[in-house]
Amino acid sequence: MSSASMSHSTNSGSQLLFSGYDPGTFYDEMVAPNGLPRPGSAPMFEKLANMPLDIFDERRKLADLSYLVQGITFTVYSDGRGTERLFPFDLVPRIIPRSEWDVIERGLAQRVTALNLYLQDIYGPQRILKDKIIPRNLVYSCKHFRREMVGLSVPRDIYVHIAGIDLVRDSRTGQYLVLEDNARSPSGISYVLENRLVMRRTFPRAFEVCEVLPVDHYPNELAQILRSLSPRTGDRPVIVLLTPGLYNSAYFEHCFLAQEMGIELVEGRDLVVVDDVVYMKTIHGLTRVDVIYRRVDDDFLDPLAFRADSLVGVPGLMNAYRAGNIAMANAVGTGVADDKAIYAFVPAFIKYYMGEDPILQNVDTYLCSDQTQLSWVLDNLKDLVVKAVGESGGYGMLMGPSSDKKTIAEFADRLKADPRNYIAQPVIPLSRCPAFDPVTGTLSPRHVDLRPYCLYDGEKVTIVPGGLTRVALQRGSLVVNSSQGGGSKDTWVLRGDE
Amino acid sequence: MMLSRIADSLFWIGRYMERADNTARILDVNYHMLLEQPPDTYKLRWDPLITITGERTRFYQTYDEAIARTAFDFLGYSEDNPNSIAQCIIHARENARTIRDRISRELWEDINGLYHKINKLRDEGEDLARFCDAVKRGGHRFHGVCDATLPRDEGWHFLQAGCALERAEMTARILDVHYHQLIDGPQILNDARSHAWMAVLKSVAAYEFYKRQYTQIEPEKVAELLLLDARHPRSVRFNLGILQNSLYAISGSVPGTYGNEAERLTGRTHEQLTYDSIDEIFSGGLHNYLEELQVTCRTIGAQITETYLYYAVSA
Repeated sequence: MSSASMSHSTNSGSQLLFSGYDPGTFYDEMVAPNGLPRPGSAPMFEKLANMPLDIFDERRKLADLSYLVQGITFTVYSDGRGTERLFPFDLVPRIIPRSEWDVIERGLAQRVTALNLYLQDIYGPQRILKDKIIPRNLVYSCKHFRREMVGLSVPRDIYVHIAGIDLVRDSRTGQYLVLEDNARSPSGISYVLENRLVMRRTFPRAFEVCEVLPVDHYPNELAQILRSLSPRTGDRPVIVLLTPGLYNSAYFEHCFLAQEMGIELVEGRDLVVVDDVVYMKTIHGLTRVDVIYRRVDDDFLDPLAFRADSLVGVPGLMNAYRAGNIAMANAVGTGVADDKAIYAFVPAFIKYYMGEDPILQNVDTYLCSDQTQLSWVLDNLKDLVVKAVGESGGYGMLMGPSSDKKTIAEFADRLKADPRNYIAQPVIPLSRCPAFDPVTGTLSPRHVDLRPYCLYDGEKVTIVPGGLTRVALQRGSLVVNSSQGGGSKDTWVLRGDE
Repeated sequence: MMLSRIADSLFWIGRYMERADNTARILDVNYHMLLEQPPDTYKLRWDPLITITGERTRFYQTYDEAIARTAFDFLGYSEDNPNSIAQCIIHARENARTIRDRISRELWEDINGLYHKINKLRDEGEDLARFCDAVKRGGHRFHGVCDATLPRDEGWHFLQAGCALERAEMTARILDVHYHQLIDGPQILNDARSHAWMAVLKSVAAYEFYKRQYTQIEPEKVAELLLLDARHPRSVRFNLGILQNSLYAISGSVPGTYGNEAERLTGRTHEQLTYDSIDEIFSGGLHNYLEELQVTCRTIGAQITETYLYYAVSA
C-alpha cells in the first residue's frame, strides 16, 4: 500500500482514483516508489487524486463516445467477418520529462539515420557485407529483402522516410531500450493526434498547468517531405496515399492522414501505369501522380513484380519506380532493415556507419539461425520471448513465462524446423503507468511501451514529441498490441522537467 | 479534380439512399391501405410490390406467398435480397465510410447513425410501420444534411444525379406495376380502385399536391402528375431535369447541347416529358411508355458509369 491514497484525500471515507494504488516493484512512470508523484507528474497526479470518481467516469464515457461517434475503430478479423472495434483509450496520460525525451530524441535520430545508411549500402555498394560486419546470408535471407532494389537509386537517397521505433523502459535499470524497429509502414500516428484532441477537450485545465509540447504538426512535416520527393520540378506535385482499402485495419488512419495532409486517398484500382508513368483515374481523364505515400506492403504493390494475386496493387508500378517517374515513401525493400534478426545488428550499424556509440541500447537478442544460440534458446524457452522475424503486430510470438508446456513444446518444434525465422529475447520487466481498471473502478498500474514516429528528410530526423503509448490493459499482461487487447494513452512530453 | 471511384461512391450513396426510401414508402403505404380491406385481397396486393423491386424470382425462391410478413421480411431486412432496405443502407454506409475523408463529418455521422438505428430496430423486432417511418425520416434527414453541409462541387452533382436517376426510375416503376394491376387485374380489386390510386400517390408523397390540382382520383391524372409534372419533386420529368442540370455541371456542356450519351438520352427524355401530353401517352399505351422510360434510365446509368466512373484506359 502506498501513501498516495491518503495524501490528497479531500472527501475522506469515499474511494478515490488512487485508493489502494501500489506502484509495486516495477518502474512506475507517474508514481515514485514512496507513493509520491514523480516531479513532472505532480500537477496531473494531484488533479486525478482529488477528482471524484463519478466525474472521472463521466469524462471517460464522454471520451469513449467521441471515438464511437466519429467511428474511430479498427477491424479485427477473428470472426471471419471483420468487426469494427474501438481502440481502448485510457485517460491517464503518460508523462515524459524533457531531459528524458532529449535523450530519446537523439537516440532515435541516430538510429533512423543508421537504418537509412544501412539500406543505401545494402541496395548499393554493400560495403558492410564485404567488411563482414553482418553475415551476407542473414541479409539475403530476410523475408523482405528485395533483390529488385539492388543498384536502383531512390529519390534523394532516402529509404525510410517514416519509422516507428518501439521503446520500452526496463524497470530494473530505468533505462529506455529499443524493442523493435518498424521501417515499412508503421501505423498509429492518427491515434497520437486524436488522443491529444480528446485529452485537450477532457482535461483542458491540465494543459494550462502542465506545459505539454504539441504534436499536431506531424501531417505538415510529413507532407513537406513527400513534396520534396517529387521527380517533376515546377508544377505543384500530385501526392497520393495508397491504401489497401476499407477492410484494412488501419483504414481510418489512412483517411485521417489523407485529409490532414490534403492529399488524395487512392486504392490500387484508382491508379494506372501508362508508358512507365503513374496516373490516377479522375472523372475528367487521367491525372499524373508524382509521389505515393503507400500504406500497402511491398508484396502487394505491383502484381507484375511481386505477388501476382494482389488485388490492391497497381500493375506496372515497379517499372515506373525504376524509371524514376514516381517516388514512394517508404521505399520498396525497407523490410530488410526491420527484420527482427537484423535488429540485433543495428548497434553495429551505428558504430560502422557513423562511428558513434548507440545512445539507445537494444534488448539482448538471440538469433536462432546460429546453432549455439539456438540450443541455448531451446533450453531456456520458458524464460524467453520468441518472435517471428518478419512479423509485426504481436502475431507469431511466444511469451515463455506465461505459456503452458504444450505451447512451448510446439514452439520448440517450429524453431528447429525454421531457425532463421525466429529470435529470442529475455522478458523485459516493462515500466508501468496508472490506468483505469473497470473491475475496481480505480487506477491500477499497467505495463506500457512507447512508439515515437520519426520522419527523415535526408538530412535530419524530426520526431513529434512523445508518440503512441500503448498499454496492456489486462492485469499483469506485457503485450500491448491493439490486436491483442492493448489500449493507448496520450503521451505528454513536458517543456521542462517539472 | 475528382477520382472516378469517389464519384462512383457518391453516385451510389445517392442511389442506395433513394432506393431504401422508396422501398420503405411502397411498403408502408401498402400496409396501411390493406388494413381497411377484406383479407382475401392481401395476396393480390403484396405480389405487385415484389414485382416493383425487380426481385420476384428471388422472392419466390424463399417464400411461398406474398403476405405482409414475408414482404416486410424480404423488402425490409433480408440479406438474400440485395435491394432490401437494410442492404441499401449497408451499401450506402459502406460507400460513405470509404470516402469519409471526402464528405462532411455530419453526412458520415448521419448515415452511420441510420445504419445503427436500423440494426437496433431489427434487434428489437420493431413493426413494419415504425421501421418504415424511421427509414423515411432517415431519407429526409439525409437530403437535409447533404443540402446543408456539402459543397456544390462535382461530388455534389454525382450525388444529385444518383438520387434523381433512382427516383425517376422508381416512380416510373411504381406507376407501371400499379397501372397494370389495376387496369388488367382481377375484378375483386375494382371496388378499391380509387383507394389503390390514393395509395400510389401517398407512396410518393404526392397525395396532397394531387388533391389541390384535380378533383377526382383518375388513373390518367395520377399518371400525368407522376410523369409530367414540372413542380413535384417525385415526378419523372422533375427528376430528369435535376439529372440534366447535374450532368451539365459535371461536363460543362451548354444547355441545348450534349457532350456524351448520358446527356443526350437525359436531354431527349426530358424534352419528351415536357412536350408529350398524357392523352398521347395513353393512346400509345402507358405500359410501353413506362417500360421505355425504365430502360432509358438504366441506359443513362450505364452511360454515366462508362463515361466517368469505369472508362477504359489503353495502356
